[in-house]
Amino acid sequence: MARHDEGVVTVGRSRIGTFFANTTGIVFGLLMLFPVYWVLNTAFKPTNEVQSFTPTFLPENPTLDNFKSALGEELFLPAMVNGLIITAMAVAAALVVGFLAALAIARFAFYGRKAIILVVLAVQLVPFLALLIPLFLMMQRAQLTNSLIGVALVYLVLLLPYTVWTLRGFISGIPRELDEAAMIDGCSRPQVFWRIILPLTGPGLVATSIYGFIQAWNEFIIINTLNSPQKQNLMAWLLYNQTERGTAWGPLMAGAIITSIPVVVFFLLIQRNIATGLTAGAVKG
Amino acid sequence: MRHGKYPFIIGFLAVPVALYAIFVVGAYLQMFRLSLTDWTGYGTFNDIGFANFEKLWNDSVFWTALRHNGFLLLLLPIVTIALALFFAFLLNVGGGSKGGVTRGVWGSPIYRVIFFFPQLLALAIVAVIFGRVFGPDKSGMINGLLPDSWEPWLFLASERWALTCILVVLVWQAVGFYVVLFSAGMGSIPQEIYEAAALDGASRITLFSKITLPLLWGNIQVAWIYLGIAAFDAFALVNIMTVNQGGPNNSTQVLSLQIYLNAFKYSQAGYASALGVVLFFLALSFAWLTLRVSRRDAVDA
Repeated sequence: MARHDEGVVTVGRSRIGTFFANTTGIVFGLLMLFPVYWVLNTAFKPTNEVQSFTPTFLPENPTLDNFKSALGEELFLPAMVNGLIITAMAVAAALVVGFLAALAIARFAFYGRKAIILVVLAVQLVPFLALLIPLFLMMQRAQLTNSLIGVALVYLVLLLPYTVWTLRGFISGIPRELDEAAMIDGCSRPQVFWRIILPLTGPGLVATSIYGFIQAWNEFIIINTLNSPQKQNLMAWLLYNQTERGTAWGPLMAGAIITSIPVVVFFLLIQRNIATGLTAGAVKG
Repeated sequence: MRHGKYPFIIGFLAVPVALYAIFVVGAYLQMFRLSLTDWTGYGTFNDIGFANFEKLWNDSVFWTALRHNGFLLLLLPIVTIALALFFAFLLNVGGGSKGGVTRGVWGSPIYRVIFFFPQLLALAIVAVIFGRVFGPDKSGMINGLLPDSWEPWLFLASERWALTCILVVLVWQAVGFYVVLFSAGMGSIPQEIYEAAALDGASRITLFSKITLPLLWGNIQVAWIYLGIAAFDAFALVNIMTVNQGGPNNSTQVLSLQIYLNAFKYSQAGYASALGVVLFFLALSFAWLTLRVSRRDAVDA
């Protein structure tokens, strides 16, 4: 790196420094990537290669058998469908409830507003596992154990703080002048919410639904506690399957890949905006 | 104002407030209530006062678990934040500058995706993968790569190192998220500041410690709290990865796992609730302390 670049003095950057930076980057990049690569590697290997004590870096005889055997498992497809239903219900409900709550908190000053914000935030700070026992008891009393709706309800509660908080940030970012202008032009309050604020909150809704999707899709402790083996989602199925069958690593890794696909696809679609989505809500006071 | 605001407020907040009242506040109250009983998890129960807490005080497993949570609480935030800051800096301003514009190292956009990858894998899957990485015999990934003449490393089967393995996985899983978070924060620091400092001959290290770090303080504070909470939890990994759930010989036992085991394995839901009460107060005091201690040095937070 030249010290003078197009006439501009650049930072005291040596070749060595840049080399060091690049090398550490690559080494740690590989460390981050290696386990993921190993999953792929294992998933495409036939059983004898998986169990071999001399590891190979690529499958010698790549096969889709592991995927077939994972997909062919009795409870795989039901688990996938359960997961999709629960996730869809929880995310949709969180968006509706969360948007309205965020509107109230962002657009109105009222008695108890601070208290609500504080409670919502405080709840996020306590590991949810502490609540597993009373939740189990409550769901049992309400006869909502072993039901998809019961699990979706709990997930909704889990997703709400982040949803409300993020959407509140987005809504606070919309100038109040827009509301006022629309009302002078004859919009009613509900119309302002529906026609002005909702469309402008679009990116926030996308960000929160992605977050919600990932959380709900990947959850396994609550569903495993509340539901019987027939009513699990993919993640819980994967773990249940592992303990049942010991070390069938090939199909397990194939199952892990299938389970991760929706999240990865989602991520690749929105990859560019992820940082904005993560932080945008937090910025505006 | 043509419409009163209260109909809106009540209408918009009724559902979430009701959900919270039932599922969170109600659940906590029940947890407090159950912590004073001998409930097994089924049927009826009797009030036994503070007997559960007395038992807890004398329970050596509880103290072991607490010590392990303390270990994670101390190291997880420090290691993760240090690594994340380092890489975020590398990706954003570490690569040298051209035409007066500082940039990240070569290939920054690719790293951003790579670092975020672990975030996409569910904790459950991460746990399963690392169970494989840390396999204690030659079929384990790391041991498989070691020379044949070496004794295989025990990893999770070793009382001494098992908890460190858990820490490594927690860091591996978390670091990408904070790289992205800090990158976003660094992206919002005006280029002019770096340029001005660069003109004055500041090195990478000076740029980092005198500009980046202070301006990111708010983000770091948030990261600290979230990682601390993750350290209090750690349930998924410990439950799935460790030998005999929390072993060998309780060397990876943590509070959350104790709650789970007591409630759903040992049929001691009352005692588990008492542990839950302890976890509740520990987590809240941690967050409160972090906010109090870091508030006064916050720069423009």
